[in-house]
Amino acid sequence: MKPAPFDYCRPATVVEAVEALGSAESGRVLAGGQSLIPAMNFRLTDVSLLVDIGHVTDLPGVDTEVAGVTVGATATQSRVLNDDDAARVVPGLRAALRHVGHLQIRNRGTVCGSIAHADPAAELPALAVAAGAVIGITGPDGHRTVAASDFFLGPFWTALSDAEVVTEVHFPAAPVGSVTSVDEISRRAGDFAVAGLVAVIEVGDGAVRSARLVGFGVGGAPARLASAEAAMAGWAPDHPDRRLMEAAVEDTADAFDDIHATAWYRREAVATLLVRAARRALANGETS
Amino acid sequence: MIPSSGPHIRSGTRFVGRSVPRREDRGPLTGGSRYIADVKLAGMLEVVFVRSTEAHARIVSVDTSEARAVDGVEAVFTATDLAEVESFPDHIDSIGPVRQRPLATDRVRYVGSPYAAVVATDRYVAEDAAALVAAGTEYEPLPTVADIQQALAPGAPKLYDDWDDNRSVDIAYPRPEADRAFAEADHTFTATYVSQRQTGLPIETRGVVSDIDGGTLTVWTSTQSPHMVRTTIALMLGVPEPQVRVIHPVIGGGFGVKTHIYPEDIVVPWITRRLGRPARWIEDRMESLLASVHARDQRHDVEVAYDGDGTIRAVRCTSTLDLGSGEIFYPGTAPVFATNSCITGAYDLSKVQTRAVAVVTNKTPSGAYRGFGIPESTLVIERVIDRVARLTGTDRAELRRRLLLRPGQTPYVMHAGGRIDSGSHAESFEQALELAAPALKRVRARHAHDPDVRVGVGYANYVEPTSPSYFRTTGHWGGGDAATVRVDPDGSVRVAVGLSAFGQGAETTAAQLAADALGVSPSEVTVVLGDTERAPYGLGSWGSRGAMMLTGSVMLASERLTAKARAIAAHMLEAAESDIVLADGAFHVAGSSQPSISWAQVATAAWIRKVDLPDGMEEGLETSGYYHPEHLEHQPDDTGRFNSAASWSNGAHIGIVSVRLSTGEVSIEDYIVVHDCGTVINPALVEGQIHGGVAQGIAGAMYEHLQYDSDTAYPRFASFMDYLVPTCAEVPRLSVDHRESPAPDQPLGVKGCGEGGTIGPPAVVLGAVSDALSEWGVELTECPVTPVAVRAALRAAGAARGRAEGNP
Repeated sequence: MKPAPFDYCRPATVVEAVEALGSAESGRVLAGGQSLIPAMNFRLTDVSLLVDIGHVTDLPGVDTEVAGVTVGATATQSRVLNDDDAARVVPGLRAALRHVGHLQIRNRGTVCGSIAHADPAAELPALAVAAGAVIGITGPDGHRTVAASDFFLGPFWTALSDAEVVTEVHFPAAPVGSVTSVDEISRRAGDFAVAGLVAVIEVGDGAVRSARLVGFGVGGAPARLASAEAAMAGWAPDHPDRRLMEAAVEDTADAFDDIHATAWYRREAVATLLVRAARRALANGETS
Repeated sequence: MIPSSGPHIRSGTRFVGRSVPRREDRGPLTGGSRYIADVKLAGMLEVVFVRSTEAHARIVSVDTSEARAVDGVEAVFTATDLAEVESFPDHIDSIGPVRQRPLATDRVRYVGSPYAAVVATDRYVAEDAAALVAAGTEYEPLPTVADIQQALAPGAPKLYDDWDDNRSVDIAYPRPEADRAFAEADHTFTATYVSQRQTGLPIETRGVVSDIDGGTLTVWTSTQSPHMVRTTIALMLGVPEPQVRVIHPVIGGGFGVKTHIYPEDIVVPWITRRLGRPARWIEDRMESLLASVHARDQRHDVEVAYDGDGTIRAVRCTSTLDLGSGEIFYPGTAPVFATNSCITGAYDLSKVQTRAVAVVTNKTPSGAYRGFGIPESTLVIERVIDRVARLTGTDRAELRRRLLLRPGQTPYVMHAGGRIDSGSHAESFEQALELAAPALKRVRARHAHDPDVRVGVGYANYVEPTSPSYFRTTGHWGGGDAATVRVDPDGSVRVAVGLSAFGQGAETTAAQLAADALGVSPSEVTVVLGDTERAPYGLGSWGSRGAMMLTGSVMLASERLTAKARAIAAHMLEAAESDIVLADGAFHVAGSSQPSISWAQVATAAWIRKVDLPDGMEEGLETSGYYHPEHLEHQPDDTGRFNSAASWSNGAHIGIVSVRLSTGEVSIEDYIVVHDCGTVINPALVEGQIHGGVAQGIAGAMYEHLQYDSDTAYPRFASFMDYLVPTCAEVPRLSVDHRESPAPDQPLGVKGCGEGGTIGPPAVVLGAVSDALSEWGVELTECPVTPVAVRAALRAAGAARGRAEGNP
């Protein structure tokens, strides 16, 4: 479990990092390293140059404004999890990060790193899509932004090209009156989800007005559950669960079998989480 | 850890029975322990093994030239280089011979089988070169066998061409009275129960470091049996045994995995002899999952004859063990014999007919893991009892009460000859039921208002055979063990034992025993073990034999030593030997105010100031004790029966679970253990054994599963992402209580307690979850109990989808 030989550099600016990546045969950005380093040790990832952005000085930290939260590439998951302002504006950040790994992992792992890594079972990419986040990317041609819904292309596959770095992610403020929940089923505390759901639900008059729903752990790339969102609009607690569940099952046709769960279990689980989210949102909406 | 029951101080002992603090804790807690990976020698080379990536194949060729050319690579060895090394022995005729080579020659039978060794100046370089050897290996794939069913199918591909089929052993214990009972019973049923493949998974993986100095080979290895490793190295490398020294450094857990002797234990010292250089190999976590033995992969086909009132008339059970490739020394067949002979557990069921089968498959060899076949047998009998209870409308606890062994029934001889010497089988269960009643009430109240949750309770009563003989199953070892006790001129005591220590507290225990026997304090006792040069020959620590062997051998040696010291003291005090009393670490003349003689004075006389010795007294103050437990048998009688365990601990486990219907998630809300391991030497140590054991038992019940692809026999696990070890978040708080039914034939009544904790949880969880889902008639039969398994059972039972459809 030792990595194959690789080169290492520690740039001081984003531009230097991009140049380093551009010069390498297979360069990879090292931020928290919580997924990348094990993959290198297992010799599952071929890396010729590791570009450590830990000492890059021109990256944002965690900036919270009324309009949303911008998280820079080196901000750790713990840093964001413990940020009360960020949690107030984008409640999904805290809700999602609570499920990410364990304390030691969150102390190293970064929010942007998790998004760039695009693990299909991870919470943060799903949150990014549900929250309508915008991914800030710097490359040889300068800075560009990509909507989260266009960023994730498949398992561990994103719109990033080789010499590009995710420099920040902007999470827009959650709509007023909405309830964000991140819920999942995992085999053990801290594991990647067997099935999970991020739900941003707007409620009014005892019913769901609209919902943005994204499953994780159930398919290739995090994507909104279109039928479920449609079924949930106007849904109230005295409506049958079945409609929501059937819609969720329909939306999760990509679900897969692995050693931890079967495809049918994953689809069923997302459906169950969906009903749970709707009921909780309505219960919370009524009390607030 | 504070034991939940009171102290067990008994008259005549000052330290036995008390929670004397562990002397082993300081090193691990402060980072000061020297584990195998901390053994570093000047000029030491790093070894990496190249392992098969095919489940079953002929090795056509291995091209090592590219690897040899890598800067820093000293050598690359394949099987041809080791031609002169003997094969691992096949000691026992009734087990199919595997003729295991230290490195695979022309055929590999599982993914992970070592077939080449790269030796380099550092581990990084060695791994780079190993990747080149792997790339330079040409295989001719052979058809694979991935499980028991495939292994036994007619015309199945064979792993060993000269065998008739894939059965390594197949031994039946016919009992005509069981057949008669089947004919007479009101009803019968058949069922199949499955225990999944796991591994013992010590936190510290294995590792071997070797050095050569003149003719002497010194081998550090993370093993539970250093003397057995020495004997095997000497045999296979053709070196006189006195020229091999085996040391186990501090060990980070063994759990049975490290009782086996592995190819690396032979190849690394061979490399050192060949190159004249120190060498080391440290197993990494990824290879540990493939290269250290697996266990528990058993299927049980059961037939039960019962009457309408719940009477179980007879049981027939065929237990089949998936051995993996079988290429492990000692052979991995032993646990299925343990399962077989203990299938009735703590219950009085004599009409039992069993058959033990072990088959080879293209998977990692299976072998020992804490519990050693008894979690499996307990799972079977507890599921059988629950089923009979359900079919006959009998209360599950009541049916167990009727069947449990009662005090007057011991010694009780089981169907295969196991002789249960004593125990509190019925009483432990009653005590556990009493502890469980309020807990069950609490848990039910907690979930009363959630229509998506059901609560269930599960039971396991078990016997734990301890200090077994492995002669029958290894064809080689079994029996007692030795201690040498010495008092040095300064009065300090040195106790050397043939056991090993890997976290269970053997040093603390040995010091307590010696302190009581010699009238000194444990702090005055130095314990030596795990080094073949410094400790007497011993079989090592496994089979919960440590406490029993330590007690027997340390007490025997101490008594002899004390008798000699008493004679010396009497001479020095000019008193009659019969008037000498040993108290507070000194010898006194009873009823006299004369000054006493200390151990230091006696020892000084024995070693240095020999003028003080009585005439004709042999010099020195050192004795050995060889303890062999009474009633321990090595070989079956002509009916195939024998008592292969020296004593039998017992216990009752009760678990209370909640099950979420909509997701199938199971939570263990309360877990009760009443445990009886005879005389308790150190309650905190026993309690620790139970806590750790139950955690591992829960791992087997709900989480850990080494899965293989059924088409290719390729492992579906590579890391802890795939092999789910429960953490403190998954293991509940335990309520533990002790009972003490002393072993009648042991000097102090000690039985052993290393494995009991692991035995109960699979049976308990299967029973509790089935109970929680009883309104749908769910009867779970397989571990692990996962959310998918629970949902599948509910779906199969035609259950409504739970709360989500408004129908809990």
